[in-house]
Amino acid sequence: MKFAILPLLFACVPLHGQPSFEQRKLAMIDAYAHYQGKGDYGYAEIAAKLWRHEDAGWCSRKLQELLAQPSGDMFWMYPVTAIAYLDQGQLEESARQALHRAWRTYMPYRGDTENHFLLYYTCLYLMSQMWPNADWYTGNSSAHNMEEARQWIESWVHLTTTRGQGEYDSPHYMGVFLLPMSYLAAWASDPAMKKRAAMMLDLLIADYAPENLDGLYVGAHARVYESQLVEPSNGVSADFGWLWFGLGHAQAVPANYALYYLLASGYEPPEVLKQIGTDRSQPYTHLERKRTRNRWRFHDDLHGPVYKTTYVRREYAVGSDQGGVLQPIQQHSWDVTWSVPDARGVQNTFFTVHPYSSTQELQTYFVFNPDGATEGVVKSKKTYDSPDKLLGGSPFEKIVQDQDTVIALYNIPPETRFPHVNGFFSKDLREVVEDKSGWIFMRGGDSTYIACRPLQPYSWKPIEGGGRRLFSPYLKNGFVVQVSGRSEFPDLASFGKAILALPLEFRLDPVPAVRFPSLRGTTIEFTYGMPPRLNGHAIDYDQWPLFGGPFVQSEVDSQRLILKHGSLQRTLDFKNLTVADTRN
Amino acid sequence: MTVTKEYVVGAKLPPSGLFVQDAGGRWQHAGFNHPFIFSLDYDTADPSILYLAAGNGLIRSSEHGGKWKILTGSDVTELRDVSADRNTPGTIYFAHSHGIRVSHDRGATWKEIGAGLHRTFTEAVRADRRQAGAVVAGGEEGIFRSEDGGGTWHLAGAAGFQITRIEQSPHDGCEWAATTQSGGVFLSHDCAKTFESSGRIGVGATLYDVSFDSGDAKRIAVAGWGPGVAISEDGGRTWQSRNAGLPVPEVVSVIFDPNVRGRIYASVRDDGLYVSNDVGRSWSKQGLDGSVINRMKFVPDVRK
Repeated sequence: MKFAILPLLFACVPLHGQPSFEQRKLAMIDAYAHYQGKGDYGYAEIAAKLWRHEDAGWCSRKLQELLAQPSGDMFWMYPVTAIAYLDQGQLEESARQALHRAWRTYMPYRGDTENHFLLYYTCLYLMSQMWPNADWYTGNSSAHNMEEARQWIESWVHLTTTRGQGEYDSPHYMGVFLLPMSYLAAWASDPAMKKRAAMMLDLLIADYAPENLDGLYVGAHARVYESQLVEPSNGVSADFGWLWFGLGHAQAVPANYALYYLLASGYEPPEVLKQIGTDRSQPYTHLERKRTRNRWRFHDDLHGPVYKTTYVRREYAVGSDQGGVLQPIQQHSWDVTWSVPDARGVQNTFFTVHPYSSTQELQTYFVFNPDGATEGVVKSKKTYDSPDKLLGGSPFEKIVQDQDTVIALYNIPPETRFPHVNGFFSKDLREVVEDKSGWIFMRGGDSTYIACRPLQPYSWKPIEGGGRRLFSPYLKNGFVVQVSGRSEFPDLASFGKAILALPLEFRLDPVPAVRFPSLRGTTIEFTYGMPPRLNGHAIDYDQWPLFGGPFVQSEVDSQRLILKHGSLQRTLDFKNLTVADTRN
Repeated sequence: MTVTKEYVVGAKLPPSGLFVQDAGGRWQHAGFNHPFIFSLDYDTADPSILYLAAGNGLIRSSEHGGKWKILTGSDVTELRDVSADRNTPGTIYFAHSHGIRVSHDRGATWKEIGAGLHRTFTEAVRADRRQAGAVVAGGEEGIFRSEDGGGTWHLAGAAGFQITRIEQSPHDGCEWAATTQSGGVFLSHDCAKTFESSGRIGVGATLYDVSFDSGDAKRIAVAGWGPGVAISEDGGRTWQSRNAGLPVPEVVSVIFDPNVRGRIYASVRDDGLYVSNDVGRSWSKQGLDGSVINRMKFVPDVRK
């Protein structure tokens, strides 16, 4: 019933050229404000209509109907906060009173994740600001609520600008971090809070811009859903890629995170970020340091470091973390993503994974009791405990990447729940050739060649909906992957010949170890459990920057972020809340 | 305290949170709908005031559950247990996902006292009613005792086991019991200075609760996933399984009724509440169908 949205999104595309940011913004808002299908979009439609100053009578009636039974915790808070700020005298007094009453009689739960807390405290802050003398479900005063919220928001900004996000680089949850910053940038009265939020919008966009290919969020993610993993255009990131940079295509129904982002500040990225988001004229390697989610048990430190590498060029991108369980349930550790003209419906990605689930993992990151924990998770994350799954980190996976070469090694204990490795070979791979050498050569779209060398025997299993799953039931295992542009070789056979000329050495006992001189001239030596060596030098993870690469730079703990492209440079100083733009 | 099965954050929440049973046996939902309340205790000076250890903080419930106030801020989350100090009215301890906190002014201000623990996740905490400033806590690495209000901690037993619950006997304050994940029951006969294993009951499974019978100094009940309900009539030396009439031996909480000799309540996974009037030899359903009951507590009735 929601297909009616699609024409609306493109109705304003000019006959010649790309629609402007403003046109894309209006198309997304209108998809909700002028929804033509059956039923309605609830709070989102109310908010979009109020933004357009349309149909206030319907908005008032619908709001009172919805507020009769509030539910949704912090996911209830953000739409009603937007409605409260977009009201601007449009709602009937009875609707406004219903809104007011709900914040006294309904206790939205604060949740247990970074995005839950940010939504919760942003909305509590803004609503307490709006109603300074109200009674609240918290039992505390507006001033008390605001101070508690301010402290958490500022602590989150500090942690993010010094050690990185915990729920980092999520093609889905990126919207849930952008939305509250957009709210605060638009509606906070305190100039410091407003400025900090505006600067965080630059940081969050800069976090995504160099790691997108055609608008798709590539590489390692803290949290992703399986439908977005195998078909990246399903990610919320596709909406933002289209909105900010005009890349790819928005989803048929844009995520409501994008809608609310637009209804608040609707921030348009500065030119330097637009250039970073779209310039793929030269290959580059982009580094990021993030952190794990809160580890309540089994670790001495609350957060561990995450080291990300992403290599991007016009034809494809390759990205990874260092392996291990860095996040519960929804971690994605490495992939190759190739460019296609239209990614909708295309599974333009390749990766391998050890399917891992355990009570230990869940008790590390949650306060769950052990019994029923996995069963409880599976109710909402259906594949968590499936041997066929393609999503999740494993403590028995270690990864190294240099440019467009990835080596993933596995050393899986025999008693592990799922003692095998899965490889995702999508329905959209072409010319898949299993060479007698043991290498698999294949083509991703019209742009990319991929070589993959499984270190152990394997078989193929079908994937529902298309494609094949490589299944390798060997505990000491691994994959060497080398990618190249299709334009670098006349054909797949020539690419294969070049790969076979690279003298790969490996052993599996006592632990997997690989020595591989890459197509780009780097000799990679990687032994499971040991620091990888590149051209004889061990990677020094202690020196890993918060952001590093040609476009985005920041040292750990510096709170200073530099965005660079060509002659453009923006420097964000989060200690002093200053932004400096220069043009060389 | 209950939560409805199937709930995840953001989902529609049927009546959940704090439920009060009146003298007629009727259950009444008190206060806000709340998905994650794990423990409660009452104010010793005014038992109509309850302290709720909840996912979003330490909540004070007053006016018989009708009025709530969140007493903690953004710096603590996912509280696991709460204990009001019987020696010092106004002193409250709670265990949380990253430590232990104490307030000496009924929750107006808090101080973290778990920093001295190697691993700070804490599931259980009890103020020792025999000794002011003595606290017993259980976390990831065993049972720890402090005699200076949490300034310093000493391992008291169950080393290496995750602790799920700690209780002090209502008869002899030097008798304590603790349950664990996979390690069974640990008992103390020396005022919680040391805890020793109490045989095989619950070993390899998880025991979630323990209750002393205020009507019989030697009677103790434990509840767990697999063992169900087990009763000891000899102070923890031997245990008998008492699951006849329970749908599955997967029990989350257990408590003796201090007012009716031989009566005991048990909550079965997400299947609501069961009662036995013969110390667990037979059970019958007692309501709250479809709920996970995290904890039960008898509170002095001050409504008269």
